[in-house]
Formats: sequence, structure tokens, C-alpha cells
Amino acid sequence: MSNTDHSHHGDGVGHAVPIKFLVLICSILLFLTAVTVWVSWFDFTEINIAEMGIIMALFVATIKATIVGLYFMHLRWDRPFIGFIFVGSILFVVLFISLALTDTLEYQPEIIPGNTPKVQEALDALKN
Amino acid sequence: MSTLTTTNSNDNYLNHTKGILSWLCTVDHKRIGIMYLVCVLFAFFLGGVFAMLLRFQLLTPEGMFLTQDQYNQAFTMHGAIMVFLVIIPAVPAALGNFVLPIMLGAKDVAFPKLNLFSWYLWIAGLVFFLLALATGGLDTGWTFYTPYSIDKASSMGGVIPALIGAFILGFSSIFTGMNFIVTIHRLRPKGMTWFRMPLFLWATYATAIIQVLATPVVGITLLLLIVERSMGIGIFDPAMGGDPVLYQHFFWFYSHPAVYIMILPAMGIISELISVHSHRHIFGYKFIAYSSIAIAMFGFIVWGHHMFTSGQSQLMNIIFSLVTFSVSIPSAVKVFNWLATLYKGSISLNTPMIYGLSFIFIFAIGGLTGLHLATLATDIHLHDSYFVVAHFHYVMMGSALIGFLGGIHHWWPKMTGKMYHEGWGRVAAILVFIGFNVTFFSQFMMGSKGMPRRYATYAEMPEFQVYHIWSTAGSVILAIGFVICAIYLLQSCFAGKKAPANPWGGRSLEWQCSSPPPWDNFAEQPEVGDCYDYSVLEWNEEEQGYVWKKDVLHPGEANG
Amino acid sequence: MFSIISSLLATPQGNPENFWLPKQASTVAQSVDFTFNLITWICYFFFALIVIAMLVFMIKYRRKSNDHEIVVTGPTHNTALEVTWTVLPLLLVIVIFIVGMRGYLNLREAPADCYEVQVTGQKWSWTFSHPKFGAIEVGELTVPVGKPVRLLMTSNDVLHSLWIPDFRVKMDVIPGRYTSLWFEALEVGEYLLNCSEYCGTDHSKMFAMVRVIPQEDFDKTLTKLASEYEDMSLGELPAYAINRLYNRCKSCHSLDGSIGTGPSFKGLWDRVSRGDTLFTSGEELSSLLGDATFYGEPENYIRESILNPQAHIVQGYLGSMPSFQGQLKEKQITAFIEMFKNLNEITTAEGEISVNPDGTPRQ
Repeated sequence: MSNTDHSHHGDGVGHAVPIKFLVLICSILLFLTAVTVWVSWFDFTEINIAEMGIIMALFVATIKATIVGLYFMHLRWDRPFIGFIFVGSILFVVLFISLALTDTLEYQPEIIPGNTPKVQEALDALKN
Repeated sequence: MSTLTTTNSNDNYLNHTKGILSWLCTVDHKRIGIMYLVCVLFAFFLGGVFAMLLRFQLLTPEGMFLTQDQYNQAFTMHGAIMVFLVIIPAVPAALGNFVLPIMLGAKDVAFPKLNLFSWYLWIAGLVFFLLALATGGLDTGWTFYTPYSIDKASSMGGVIPALIGAFILGFSSIFTGMNFIVTIHRLRPKGMTWFRMPLFLWATYATAIIQVLATPVVGITLLLLIVERSMGIGIFDPAMGGDPVLYQHFFWFYSHPAVYIMILPAMGIISELISVHSHRHIFGYKFIAYSSIAIAMFGFIVWGHHMFTSGQSQLMNIIFSLVTFSVSIPSAVKVFNWLATLYKGSISLNTPMIYGLSFIFIFAIGGLTGLHLATLATDIHLHDSYFVVAHFHYVMMGSALIGFLGGIHHWWPKMTGKMYHEGWGRVAAILVFIGFNVTFFSQFMMGSKGMPRRYATYAEMPEFQVYHIWSTAGSVILAIGFVICAIYLLQSCFAGKKAPANPWGGRSLEWQCSSPPPWDNFAEQPEVGDCYDYSVLEWNEEEQGYVWKKDVLHPGEANG
Repeated sequence: MFSIISSLLATPQGNPENFWLPKQASTVAQSVDFTFNLITWICYFFFALIVIAMLVFMIKYRRKSNDHEIVVTGPTHNTALEVTWTVLPLLLVIVIFIVGMRGYLNLREAPADCYEVQVTGQKWSWTFSHPKFGAIEVGELTVPVGKPVRLLMTSNDVLHSLWIPDFRVKMDVIPGRYTSLWFEALEVGEYLLNCSEYCGTDHSKMFAMVRVIPQEDFDKTLTKLASEYEDMSLGELPAYAINRLYNRCKSCHSLDGSIGTGPSFKGLWDRVSRGDTLFTSGEELSSLLGDATFYGEPENYIRESILNPQAHIVQGYLGSMPSFQGQLKEKQITAFIEMFKNLNEITTAEGEISVNPDGTPRQ
């Protein structure tokens, strides 16, 4: 029966990550969440990239997801094949999002232009 | 030695420990399988009651006895119960749980406690569906299309409990899938390379992949729907700038692979049934194995064919239609392979085989009518009509469910240690076959002629009454078949003949242990050879079953 | 060769006896039916193949009873055969796809000079607006024969789907978005239009009739429709309202006293003028009528119920009535009020309409 290489224990339990380390990772993730929230308060229109807020948020989210995958999901210490499976599942996400988004973009011309009353009300309230 | 287990006592998994707690807290895959079987059959009965309400309501154009709202609730509950509580778990959880580890010669699945947890999740899902009925009812259709399902003024109050129930059931499915994937990867016996596995295991493996990959998507979708309905985030609600078609993308991205979760295991059963009951090596093993994986993979890229008239763009419609045809090919290949398996076989027309042959007949119709629906020009006319209802009943009920019934009959002696009454078994199987076709074939005709689905009354279209009457008559025959089946199966539990270890002459490992299996399946994991090579078996008159030929060695046994 | 096959496969035009399909009443119906028949015949062929093979094997290789001997014979695989029966069906389905795609593109691409109708679906009726004439029809769509018609559609509330089986056209109507379909009717007549996306309680009752009339009559008919009520006197309005306007109320409000999704119109005016209605808020209508009150006159309450039905909901009902703000001219609301006042004269005791739109008694 095959085992992961880093098993220091003879009882076949597998590599156990020290709790302190996991708490450290958790703190890093919480810190990055705080960063995301902090960044969201900025108004980026000054530097002419209004979407910068979203780009920053996605960038931080990618870092967090990688940390979760590598450490919480144990991929750092697993066989590379397991990592490929994880990446493979991302392919399915890409499949779904790309086809659904393409569809949405294609039928944009048919959307009735303008905001619905509820949305307009909310937008007006924000401006004031 | 006739079997690989010692059967020097009457000790088996059924009587090994006693008491209700020993069942409710069991981690034995066999007991969990039986618990699932009982529950799924109960849910099938419940869904069937709703179905009969629908069919009787539609006997007259003005409707017989239900109000519009009652009918809408009835078809919603029928769909939700049948899809989420019956057909998706049926073969994998009820039969797969029981058979899979034994087929592998293993003692249990990879994660027995997770297995039990999956069962409890199913029970929780059932509770939430019943709660939905009790707290305001549910009338959105099992598809929960927006904006209807998020509008609290339109739809009934039981929507959120139902969504929670479906969410929980999703996890039951995911954990079962995970369990099976690991079990098949890690617990195969010596000699069982991937291409030596029984085809039921290939089918279950492909199904498990879909369960793990696709079900989380519906989980997210249902969560989004719950949040939308309770907090109005506006993702699917056009009144707040959301997109109802996006909901359909989300929903069908899971629900299309879900139908392959329903059919693939049943196809796996048919591969076993056809081969065992005609004592013929399965024809084209590799193509059948590959086709299971192909169906699983292709199933993920065709979901848009449920949305051809929904406002999906022309470009996507064309892409999805083209790719949908690709899924039909592996299914066709399987049908041809099964027919070739029958060639030069020794076909026993017993109950499991009748279900197997019914499957081929019915699945042929179901699959071929899928062509009408995959084709863009015709689907525009046929979408949301009874043609679609007939098509999916042919594949989900006539194929998946009949495969399930065939599997129950095939493995009944193994599971219960009793033989059911063969004569009544055949009667019920034939009644189910006839009843099914009468019920649903007429629905094809009225669908293409213009009868829309989810209609409680059809007063403006009285010309469809004759079709509805045929359909209801068929459903009565079908119900009688099921009732007879239930009666003789129950009767066999109390007064059936004792079953030998191998009544049908199967070669896969589950037939090498006693009926019912002992608590721990096998004393040691045996080695396997070709599980479709029946030449090693011979009939034993005293046991009334098949045994290993005395002069033939088991795989792995040395000479002398 | 192709035309021979296509004539074999095409359903005779207008033939009601076809086993699978309704009559062909539009130009696209013929090509859709051709595709349908092509697929169906391919299905017959393969089904026959499968079932005959199954039956032949079942009989020829049947196990004799009590014969338990296992004789292992027969091939276990044949790569050439398996590849053949994989590739041939694949080629066949590609052909089917191409035929279907071409028919679909025809269905989607409307010709240049269509007559345009704007459609609004709402729970549970269809409203058709002819912008060229300023006419509005509910529950009925009048179109000219032999001329392409394009429907530009949207929904006021939830998803619906407009399906005309005899024309083979269908498209969902979505709130917040426009969708469209086009057809050209072949023959004068009446064809059923129904809703084919589940939309709630009265989904099964969300019908309309497509009335195809000769081209010469079309302009006249619609101009009349547009201004039918404008020159009417007060006395002529009830007959007009019950024939032309009641359609959009029909699915929820009965004329014979039976309770539907909304209260019956029978006896409504008596109740309202007495103030005899209890609302879900606990108020009685009588407290809102009379001098210096919220409504004053009962007519104002009726007007409010049509334009802002959520203001006061009658006890015992769910308040699912949509607003008709913007859909009715002032005179049409007056027509409704006159209709309620004179309901006994224009309907029978059983709730049947007893007058024609012009006021003459109906046979």
C-alpha cells in the first residue's frame, strides 16, 4: 500500500501538520481578508482604472486560494498528481464560467436598457 | 470448497448483531445499503402517489379533482422527490453500497463512517422536503426557475426548506461519490487491474466522478437561491438587475450531469445482467468501459440543450446542439455491445433478464428521441411539451429505474439470502414493461402535437384527452406491476426459499461469498481473474446454484 | 434525389392526419416537419434493428429450462465492428445536426419587412400591442395571412414562453429583456397560442387565439380596434369592455360567481357601492367611501384597484393582481366601471357574455 513520502510515523497515519503552523496560515488568511476590505474602501477613479478595486480583490483572492490549497488542502506535501487533479477541477470552473459568460455577452443587446425602479432608487440613495 | 468464505454457521451480516441501534449506528456497508434501499423505495412510493394524483387529474380537460395550485404542488413534489430522493441515490447508494466492496473482495468501503453519515444526510434531506410541504407548500417545479421561485408573492412558502433539503442531499451524493472513488482506487484486489474490473464498477466510478465534480455546483446554486429569496441580493432577479437565464446556466450545469449519475450505474447493472444471465462474456469490454467515462466527461459540456428556447444566444445554442450529439454515440455503442453479448449466449428469460431486455428496448426509444431534442429546429417546437416529459421518463424511469429493479432482483438472493417467487417476478416485470410503454408512449404523441407540460387542465385542447386517458390507464398497469413486485419481494423475506451463494452463475466476487454475506465479507481478500469467464463454473444440483469447478483452480492458487 | 427524399419525408401541407404533428400553418412548419420526419425515420430504422436483433437472439439462443450447463462460445470483441458502429452513427448525427441547425437559423432570422407586434406576457394573460395602429389586444392576436410577422416580446413578472404549435415557433419571454420570434401564416384561420414555461397558478389557462385574416381586411380591422371605444357613448362601453377588455381579467376573475385567484365580477358593483368589502388590513371599504374619505366615490376605488391593486387587498385573497398602469387609457377604465355597473345586462346568470361588442345581443 503506497504512502506519502513524508510519513515520519510508522503507524500509517500520514503527514501531520503541526497545529501552530495551521494557526499561522489562518492568521495570514485573515490578514489578507482585512487587506481586501481595506482596499475596497479606496476610490480608484483617480488613477483612471475604475476596475482596480476588483482586480486587487481577485489578486488577493488568488493568493489566498493558493495558500488554502497548498497548506490547508495539504497539496504542498502530496504527490504532484493530486495537485493536477485540483487544477483539473479548476478547468471545470473555467468551462462553466466561460460558456455562461459568453452567452451573457451575446445576449446583452436584448436587455432592456436602463435600471429598474428598485435599482435606480438604490443608486440614487447611494449618491445622496 | 464452493465459496471463498467459510460458512460453517448461519452467521451473516443480517443477524450478526441485533437491535435497532445496531442498524442505525452501523458502519457496515451492507446494512447501510439495505437502509438506503428501504428508504429509497419508500420515497419512490411517495413520489409515485403524487404521480398517480397527476395522472388522474388529467383524465378530463377541465381537470378531475385538483385545483391549479394543488396540481402545481403535486408535480413539483413528484419531480423533486423522484429526482433528489430516489433516482440519484438509488443505484449508487442502495445497490452500489452493498455490492461494490464485495465485488472488490474488500471488507468495506474506504470510509465507512462517512458512508453512514451520507445516509443520515439523506434522511435529513427527506425531512426538509416534508417540512417544505408542511410550511406552505412548494409549487415552483423541481427546477426552481427564477424569478418565480424568488418571488415570495408568487410562489409558496415551502421553497427555502426544500432548497435546504436539496442542498443537504447534494452532500449525501458527494460523500458517496468520494467514498467510491477512493475505494475503487485503493481497495482493488490482486489481479484486478483497471481493465479486469466488473463493468458495474466502471460505471460506478464514472458516476462517482460526476457526483464529486458536479454536485457542488448545484449546492452553490441552491445557496444563492436561498440568499436571493431571503435577502434579495439580486443575482437572478431582473427587478434588481439580475439575470434569470444565468440561474438556468447554474442549475443545468449540475442537472445535466445529474442525469448521467442516474443512468450510468443502471447501465453498469445491465452490463452485468446481460452477461450473467446469458452466460456470455461481455462483448467489447474496453469500449463499454471507455464509453462510461466518455459519457461522464461529455455530460459536462452539453447543459445548454435544456435552454434552447430560454433566450440563450444563437451561438451557444449551436455549440450545445453540436456537442449534445457526441453524448449519444457512447450510449449507442453500449446498446450494440449488449446486443452482441446476447449473440450465441444461453439466454435465461428470468426476471432480472426481462428487466435487462426491457432496459434495452426502452432505452433505445429514450435515447433515439433524444435526437429530436438535440436538434435545434425540432427542439424549438418540442421544448416544454409532453414530448420532453416522455423522453426523460423513458430514460430516467424506463431505463434507470428499470435497471435499478433489475439489479434488485439480480442481487436479491445475495442481499437477503432468499429467492423470490420467479413466476410472479416475471409477471410483474412484464406488467411494468407494458404499463410503462402505454403510459409514456402516448405522451410523445401529444407532446409533438402541441400539449404543453405542467398543465393542470387543458380545456382549450380537448383533443388531447384520449392520449391522457391512455397514459393514465398505463400508469394503473404500472402501479399494479410495482405492487405485485413489492408483495413477492416482501414475502420472500419471510418465506422465500433459501438462496445458494451463486444462483445465477455469476463470476464476479460477490457470488463467491455466501448468501447473505458474512459480517466481514471475505476472510482474506481473494485474487481475481476474468470476471466474465463463466467456464470455471458448474451447476450443483444439491445447492441449486453454481459452484467453482472442482478441477479448476481459483486465481492465485498454486498447484498442489 | 434530395427532392424525392424530401417529398417522402415532408408532411402533406395542412394534413391533420399526421401521426406526430399538428397541421402546418406557417412557412417554417414545413422545414421543421421535414427535419422531424427525417430524424423519426432514422429512429424507426435503428429501433427496428435493435428490437429485431434482440428478439431473434432471445428466441434463437434461449436457454432451455433446466439446462444449467455453461458452454462458453461467441466472440468477446471485434474491433473493426465496434469502430464501425461508433463512426457510422457519429457521421449520421452530424448530418442531423446540420439539417437542424439550418432549420434553426431560418427560425431565428426574421425577413426584412416584417409586420411587428409587441407582446407582453404576464401572469396569466398575453397582451399584444400593434404600434402601427395604436391598438391593443388581450388574449387575441390578429395578424395578416401571407405576410411575415415579428413578435417582440417581454414579460412583466416571471418567465413565460410563447408557443404556437401549428406554426412551430416558440420563445421564452423574460422580464427585463426582449426576445423575439417570427412567422408567416399560410392560411386564414384560428390557431392556439399557449404559455409553455411554468409560471404559477394559472399557467394552464394562459392562452391566446391567433386570428389570421386576409391582408385586405387587416388594416381596416386594426384601425377599428384601435379607436373602437373612443367615439362610444357611456351606454355603449359595457358591451365593448366585456368583449374587448375582460379577456385580460378572465384568468382570475369569473363572471359566474365562482371564486378564482381574484373575486368574481358577479355582483361586484353592488358590494362595492355598499362598501361591503373587508380588506386584509382590517379596514372595511365603507369606511373609505363617502364625503371627505380616502376614495369618496366607489368609482375611484375601482380605478385604484386596476392601477394600484396592492393598495387594498380583499380579505381572503393573496394580492397577486398586477398593476395595469400604462396599459389602459382613461376611457378604457371608465369602460370597466360602466361594465361593472351593467354586468347583469350584459351577462347571463351562468356568467356567459350575452352581447356583441357593438351592443347587439349575442345568439
